Amino acid sequence: MSSLAMRPCGDFRTSYKKDNTIFETKTIRLVAILAIAAACLAPLVLDGYFLTLFIQISYLGIAALGLNILVGFTGQISLGHGAFFGFGAFASAWLNTSFNIPVALCIPMAGFLTMAVGMMFGMPAARIKGLYLAIATLAAQFIIEDFFARAEWFSGGSSGSMAAPVNLLGFEFDTDQSFYYIALFALVFMYIWGCNLMRSRDGRAFVAVRDHYLSAEIMGVKLNKYRLLSFGISSFYAGIGGALYAHYLGYVSAEGFTIFMSIQFLAMIIIGGLGSIKGTLMGVIFMVLLPEMLETGVGLMKYTDWGNIPMVTDGLAYIKEMAIGLVIILFLIFEPEGLAHRWAQIKNYWKFYPFSY
Amino acid sequence: MYKKLIIASSIASGVFGISSQANAEETIFVGHLADMSGPTAFVGKPYADGVRDSLAYINSHGGISGTKLEYETIDYAYKVPQAIASYKKWQSRKNMVAMQGWGTADTEALISFAAKDQTPVFSASYSGHLTDPKGLNPNTKKPAPYNFFYGASYSDSCRGLVQWAAKDWQAKGAKGKPKFTHIGANHPFPNAPKAACAEYATELGFEVQPAVVISMKPGDFKAQCLSLKSSGTNYGYIGNLGGSVQSLIKSCNTVGTEIQFMSNIWGGDKLVFKAAGEGIKDYIFPTMTPFWTDEVPGMKLVREISKMSDSSGSEERLHHYIRGVCSTFFMKESMEWAKANGGVTGENVKKGMYAQKNWVPKGLEGVCLAATWTPEDHRGINQVNIYKGNFNGGDIRVEKADQVTLERRVDWLGY
Repeated sequence: MSSLAMRPCGDFRTSYKKDNTIFETKTIRLVAILAIAAACLAPLVLDGYFLTLFIQISYLGIAALGLNILVGFTGQISLGHGAFFGFGAFASAWLNTSFNIPVALCIPMAGFLTMAVGMMFGMPAARIKGLYLAIATLAAQFIIEDFFARAEWFSGGSSGSMAAPVNLLGFEFDTDQSFYYIALFALVFMYIWGCNLMRSRDGRAFVAVRDHYLSAEIMGVKLNKYRLLSFGISSFYAGIGGALYAHYLGYVSAEGFTIFMSIQFLAMIIIGGLGSIKGTLMGVIFMVLLPEMLETGVGLMKYTDWGNIPMVTDGLAYIKEMAIGLVIILFLIFEPEGLAHRWAQIKNYWKFYPFSY
Repeated sequence: MYKKLIIASSIASGVFGISSQANAEETIFVGHLADMSGPTAFVGKPYADGVRDSLAYINSHGGISGTKLEYETIDYAYKVPQAIASYKKWQSRKNMVAMQGWGTADTEALISFAAKDQTPVFSASYSGHLTDPKGLNPNTKKPAPYNFFYGASYSDSCRGLVQWAAKDWQAKGAKGKPKFTHIGANHPFPNAPKAACAEYATELGFEVQPAVVISMKPGDFKAQCLSLKSSGTNYGYIGNLGGSVQSLIKSCNTVGTEIQFMSNIWGGDKLVFKAAGEGIKDYIFPTMTPFWTDEVPGMKLVREISKMSDSSGSEERLHHYIRGVCSTFFMKESMEWAKANGGVTGENVKKGMYAQKNWVPKGLEGVCLAATWTPEDHRGINQVNIYKGNFNGGDIRVEKADQVTLERRVDWLGY
């Protein structure tokens, strides 16, 4: 349908090729290209604060997409994604400082190293699933966290590890403005790759494993292979996200990569929409911006005479934390299929207008 | 007429320009990151209150030589991404001159940004590796040129405690080598002094036992206490926060260990004694300030500062609060120096920290220890005051046990 400018009222896709397009219509494709072009100009108009938020969205978004491939597309579960994210961060810093490999190469290499580690911990997935797998990956979280604290040669132990900025042809990407382009490139590249993966034979196999593993096996999908591969790809994404995080901050410390981070990744993909690539990005944007929006709301109170006293501001700080939890719960109750589903409904509303069906 | 209009309007715009510039210079911005609702809020809240009240007090008493401080406290709940976003917001929108930070996670995440933006960060993370601004020690992973903290580093505090333990062992007339064990979660904060302290303990003749890992959260630690008992540990250094200290003491009392517990600066305060109750005996911990009830000259000012959020003045503040006051007042005086020497910029505030030797902020004599920072050495304090605390049926008794001044050894810089 890519030749059409608008979505037709009805589904007229008659070939696999048409069913498989990334952009459903010409308009969507054009908007996507214009959005990326506009994003390229963003550092000219946006300040460091907005750029930081975008950079956060990109490295967390890449890692979250990895988790969605595992959870949303393959139907496995992982509670150790935060640790894999951390492994990518340390691995890239380690490759750079110990072997003097240029950072631009360290980032994909860290992805592959994390992939290897992810597949190692994903091996139980060949035999167990559901809650059992959740606990196995939870164990991975703790083992890797402990490894960070002990393996001084790798992570610098309690002193942490230094990560040099990305350097390409002598130009250092060490400011928000310059790193923004690295983050943007990585985000677009990894998301297009994710889209393509899901259109490929392997991606379809993931979905088959998720939907009904027995039918998938009868159809000839090798369950073990695809379950393990899904873990590997998921960890690869986590590793790339982690490596970007490391080289943005310039310093990695084990303290950030706790179970809370893993749960936050899960929250992102659930809010965004399981099994949706654009939903993943929506969920990440939501989770990154929510605390900032609430902080701004709380901040406005501080400008009033009665609001700028510790009793009120402290109370608001707690309210802010509770509100984040509350919003997530409300989302799960009223929008269990995530933001991607809501977006589809909004589109349908306009498509069918003035009728509701 | 036309010319007059141009001249008049250019004069007017000039005047407005100058006045708006003057307005812009009237305030300087200080960011304040605090953990009041996150995992370290147990001690983060009192420390943050100290910083906040001090900033408010400074403003209500003339600011920085007439310049008002604009400040904002953000409760980042110990989440690194929020700390980074807040820092960037302040940096790009408020032209932040200096920042009062909090824990290891945010301080370390911001090292590179602070160095690049030339913004001094005053934190409550006392990791030894923040003390080497130029990376002079080959072990230093990352030089931290714009990081300052008020107090002895975790490593130096632990070294001070080990010195006290060596003296205590002799005073008891005990024979043989005393055994020393590091106790704490396997995380950067409790681990920060582990290697440095173990090395020094060995140097002083201790037999260092393998570290015992206990979680940062309260729990049942009887198994760990049994291993402490079986290893025959005489002196145990606790690297965790108050919550797990109470559990450890209760568990070890049940098991029946005879260990002299010593904690880091966050593991000993009156709240811990209240919660631990009768079981806590001769508990040793370091401080960098006197206590609320101590009569020293500077305490008058601390009590005045406390009234900023507690007008009745009846609330008894912990020593973490008072450390927050010291941290802010050292920053204040370096800002005053900066204002008199070329303007309050991050770079000048940093220079202001080096301008004096062995200095105590005015009005806080007897409260803040005399500190010296140099461009090569950010170990502001090398003195460790060691206190002993007991519960005594609800009457919490805290008395000074010793005072150790550590030498500024080159090999200890950044370690």
